[in-house]
Amino acid sequence: MFAVYKREFFSYFRSPVGYIALALFSFLSGLLFINQFGSGAISISSEIISLRSFFVVIIPVITMGLFAEDKKRGTEILFYTNPLSLFDVVLGKFFAALSLLGVMFLNVIVHMIITAVNKGVVDIGTWGSVIVYFFLAILFIAIGIFASALTDSQIISAILSFIIILIIQLISTISTLASSSVSSFLSGKMFSMDAEKVSKAVEKVSNGIKWLDPFAKTQDFRYGIFSVAPLVFCLSGALIFLYLTYRVLEKKRWAQN
Amino acid sequence: MIEITNLVKRYGDKKAVNGISFTVQKGEVLGFLGPNGAGKSTTMNIITGYLSSTSGTVKVNGHDILEEPEEAKKCIGYLPELPPLYLDMTVLEYLNFMCDLKKVPRAGRKEMLAKILSMVKIVDVADRLVGNLSKGYKQRVGIAQALIGDPEILILDEPTVGLDPNQILEIRKLIRNLAKDHTIILSSHILSEVQAVCDRVVIINHGKVAAIDTITDLSKKLSGSSKLLLSFKGSVKDVKNALQALPGISGINERVSDSDIHEIDITVSNEKGSDVRTSIFYAMSKGGWPILEFRSLDHTLE
Repeated sequence: MFAVYKREFFSYFRSPVGYIALALFSFLSGLLFINQFGSGAISISSEIISLRSFFVVIIPVITMGLFAEDKKRGTEILFYTNPLSLFDVVLGKFFAALSLLGVMFLNVIVHMIITAVNKGVVDIGTWGSVIVYFFLAILFIAIGIFASALTDSQIISAILSFIIILIIQLISTISTLASSSVSSFLSGKMFSMDAEKVSKAVEKVSNGIKWLDPFAKTQDFRYGIFSVAPLVFCLSGALIFLYLTYRVLEKKRWAQN
Repeated sequence: MIEITNLVKRYGDKKAVNGISFTVQKGEVLGFLGPNGAGKSTTMNIITGYLSSTSGTVKVNGHDILEEPEEAKKCIGYLPELPPLYLDMTVLEYLNFMCDLKKVPRAGRKEMLAKILSMVKIVDVADRLVGNLSKGYKQRVGIAQALIGDPEILILDEPTVGLDPNQILEIRKLIRNLAKDHTIILSSHILSEVQAVCDRVVIINHGKVAAIDTITDLSKKLSGSSKLLLSFKGSVKDVKNALQALPGISGINERVSDSDIHEIDITVSNEKGSDVRTSIFYAMSKGGWPILEFRSLDHTLE
């Protein structure tokens, strides 16, 4: 696993990808940090939460090449014909992408130090935001890796993970839309249900969709209210996608076409 | 060393490999010969664990490639058709990465790499990016990669394809050197190449074994039934009669006839020291039949 990890992590810095991602992140986080200067109160938590919305761009970029490039260049054969397991390969690549994100995050750590030195607020809630940031990153990187294993084109892989991550980020909007359409459908001519039943059904639908939202699940962390369930949710989601990636790779051996 | 029994690989309705069985002894150089699309690469991919067979077993050093993949893969160095190179690394970085993949212990790694670099003659490009190397050098880096970890078995899929004649000779020399202490399976669609380096040949066609033989037996069979092509003016019947009287000729077939120009195949049963070509020439001149073309038909695999 470590061999693959080492190669993938350093390969970010053999091409422009790593540098561009780092520069972009430094710029955005710096902008978000400086923007708060005028308000008089610096909140690292809100900086981190704003940064999360850039996952939808950054994560597809850092994961798109992980398997797609190997497939295109024919180097994936190395993973099958050498004495290592395919799951080690998946984990190696996963941790390489996570490490790059960690390196990017050093920017925020610097901002935290600046804030703390100047007697600003760096409290348990800030650390809660950091924890959430990385657990969401783990989930999204796993999705990006899965997308990369499905195709030998980096572009297609990036678009695929972009779409999946976008949908996850928009879950709360989607649930609002869905509940309003369910409500108008049920109270319409076809069913003409009474208001009480309709509101119950709507609640069920919207709760069902919201259950999938990792952002809503983790929103209390920034106030220092921690719970294990949301973290388990992110981790198990990541594991499912990593396992699916492993199966996609394994399938290559047995496929009959 | 390698035991292959009844290998089948099915792609949809098509069987790319259809019941191939053979064994490779320790220290042997086995040539894998066949036209493009015969199933050579598929068979090699199955032996190395890249693909799984639909049915049949592969045993490498007694380890089944599916039951104990790690043990089996440790014994094999593989150069696929397309060398699996990372173009963004230098040669040395790449080979070090391969050492990591093959779990070569750190101690003694430097010496091993130095030995491999000088063996395949890539010492002077060791610090260059793989992507900037010429095709011949890339091929050598591919061979270097297969040699890492000192595997007992080397599997080389068309190691000389796309190289210039000089490089081909060098790679063949390298393979002969490696053959001294490795078991090698080598695929090719060029007969002369297999003849130059292999002890034994497996010829496959349409996913089936067409022949397994040693090189000496094979060339005996080939030279034992060599053919000549003769094109002349005159009557076929008279020429046939005149030539059949000569010793060393076992058969004459008519090929094409175009008014008074005829082409015939002469099958020669080569006996030692006798060259029938001179006697054919004299017989033809004696009969007054002008020879328009006279050449030997090489036995090619195709």
